[in-house]
Amino acid sequence: MINLKDVSYVRLGSPDLEAAETFATGCLGLEVAERGRKSIYLRSDERSHTLCYSEGDPKDQSVGFEVEDEEALQQAAASLEALKHHVRAGSAEDAEKRKVKAFIGFDDPSGNHIELVVRPERSGRRYFPTRDAGITGFSHIGLNSTNPARDERFWTQVCNARVSDRIGDIPLMRVNSIHHTIALVRAPRAGIQHVNHQVQTNDDVLRSFYFLSERRVPIVFGPGRHPTSGARFLYFKGPDGMVFEYSVGVDEIDDEGTHRARQFGFEPTSFCMWGAKPAGLALPDGR
Amino acid sequence: MMPSNTPLLASVCYVRIAAREPLASARFASEIFGLQRVAEHDGEIAFRSDNRFRTLSITGDKSDGASVGVEAWSDAALDELEHLLRDNGFSNRRASEEECRKRHVQAALLTHDASGNPVDVVTRPTQSGRRYFPSRDAGVTQFHGVGLRSKEPAGDLKFWSTLGAEVSDWVGDIAYLRIDGLHHRIALYPSTRAGLLYAAFEVETLDNIMQSSYFMQEHQVKIVQGPGRQPVSQQIFLHVEGPDGIILSYVNGMECLDGQARRTRQFPRTSESLCAWGSESNDVPELSAQLRSERSRREQ
Repeated sequence: MINLKDVSYVRLGSPDLEAAETFATGCLGLEVAERGRKSIYLRSDERSHTLCYSEGDPKDQSVGFEVEDEEALQQAAASLEALKHHVRAGSAEDAEKRKVKAFIGFDDPSGNHIELVVRPERSGRRYFPTRDAGITGFSHIGLNSTNPARDERFWTQVCNARVSDRIGDIPLMRVNSIHHTIALVRAPRAGIQHVNHQVQTNDDVLRSFYFLSERRVPIVFGPGRHPTSGARFLYFKGPDGMVFEYSVGVDEIDDEGTHRARQFGFEPTSFCMWGAKPAGLALPDGR
Repeated sequence: MMPSNTPLLASVCYVRIAAREPLASARFASEIFGLQRVAEHDGEIAFRSDNRFRTLSITGDKSDGASVGVEAWSDAALDELEHLLRDNGFSNRRASEEECRKRHVQAALLTHDASGNPVDVVTRPTQSGRRYFPSRDAGVTQFHGVGLRSKEPAGDLKFWSTLGAEVSDWVGDIAYLRIDGLHHRIALYPSTRAGLLYAAFEVETLDNIMQSSYFMQEHQVKIVQGPGRQPVSQQIFLHVEGPDGIILSYVNGMECLDGQARRTRQFPRTSESLCAWGSESNDVPELSAQLRSERSRREQ
C-alpha cells in the first residue's frame, strides 16, 4: 500500500513563462519564489513552492504526492514495479529542481504523470503575494481518467485513497481528513483537469469573481457551491487552457472509520447547489 | 409618560407599494421573488414573509396605496410620537377606522418625511396564527427593512431622528439608520425624487442569495446589484427589479450592534464602500458610487 500524505506540487509546461507569471501573480494570486532561466516557482502557502512552470509543452504535466520517507518511497517503487508500472528513478539533479529530498515518477493507469516525493521543502518566510486573493494553500487536483472505475481501484487499492463521495461513477477521493485531494474526471486522455487553491472566506470567492470578470479572465464555472464537499467555488481559465479553482469551506472527514461514500446523481445540481452552469469547462461524463 | 429607556419604535413592519400594473407586480412578488400571496382587499394584494399577517402589499391606488409602516413600541409611544412629530414640524393625523383596516393595524398616525415619503406609525400590526409558507423556496425568513429615496436629506434625517432612529454609518451622504439591535433597518439615499428605493427581505443563508441570483438570471429578471456585501454592515445582498421598476432585495448577515454605544463612521462614496466584493449598480444612481442627477443621466 502506497501511503500518500498530501499533494505537494503541480508542474506544468508552458511555451510562454512570462505570460504564466503574469497570470499567476496578477490574477491567481501566487507569490514568485524563484525565477530560473527556464522555470518559475510559485508559492501558495508555507511550502517553498506548490506550482512550477517550465518552458515546454503544455501537455507536460505532473503532480507530486508526498510519502513518509525514503523507505516508503522504495517500497512504493517496488509495489508499482510488481504491478508492471514503469517507475522512473528521480536523479539528484531533478530532485533539486523539485525542491525535494528524493522522488520517483510513474504513470497512473490513465497515463497521468505522477511523482512520489520525500521531504518537500518548506520556507522559513511566510507566503506573501502581490494580489490579495486570500489564498491559504494549494489543496487538490482534478485528474483526467479514461476509466474512472479502474483508476479508482488504483488510487484506493494500490494507494491509500478513500472515496468520500461519488457523482455518477466519478469518485472524490481523500488521502487525509480533507474531503478530497484527488477528483477523477472522465476524459478521453490523461491530463490535469484543474488545480485547486483554498481561500480564506466566501468573500474571497465572490471578490475574485468580480475581479477576474473585470479582467476578462474566462470564468468557466461558478461562483457556486458543491453539495458534496460543501465548498464554495470558482473555476477560471489560466494560461494554456489550464483551469484553476478557488474554494473555501471544504468538509473535513473526521469519522474516518464510519464515513460511507454518498452517491450523488450525475446531474448539474450534484456539481452546484446554487444553480451555476459550467461554461467552457467539460463536466465529466458520468456514465 | 414613556419610561425613558424604552425605544419609541419597535420595527419596520410593512411596505405598501402603488404600482401601475399591480397584477404583474404581484406575480413578480410571489412567483419570482418568492413571497406568500395571502389576501386581497379593496384591490390591495397582500404578501407574507414571516409570522406577520402581511409585510408587503401592492395596489393600483396611487392616492393612498403607498406607505412604509413602522411599529410604535406601545400606545403610549404612539401618543408621544404624535406630539414629537408635531413639535418638530411634521404634520400628522390619526388614521380613520377604514384606513386602519386597510393597513391591518389597530391605530396609526399618518405622516410623511420631509421628502414627502408617506410613513404610517402604527400599533399592533396584525400577526398570523399560521406559519409562513411560500410557493418558492427562496429561504425568506422575515421582512427586514427599506431603502428610501430622499430629496431632502437633512429634513428626512430630522424626521427619522424624531422617531428615535440613529445614524449607524454614512457612505457619502447615504445614511444607514438604526432602530433596534441591527446596523440598520432604514437607509436614506440622496435622490432627485422621493419614493421607495427597495424593500429588503432577510433569507436564511448566503446559499439562498446565490441560488436566487442564478434563478433570476435563468428567468431573465434584471439584477440591479449583487450578489454583493455591504462593507458598512457586513450584509450580503441581491437587489432585483420587478415590473414598474420596483426593487425587492434579499439580504443576509447584517452586523448586530446590540445596543453597544458606537460612534457613527464616515465612508467615502466609492464602489468599495458600497460593495466589498465588487458588484456595481449601473442603472440605479442611488445605489451607485457616482450619484448622477436625472438631467445628466438623460444627457448620456
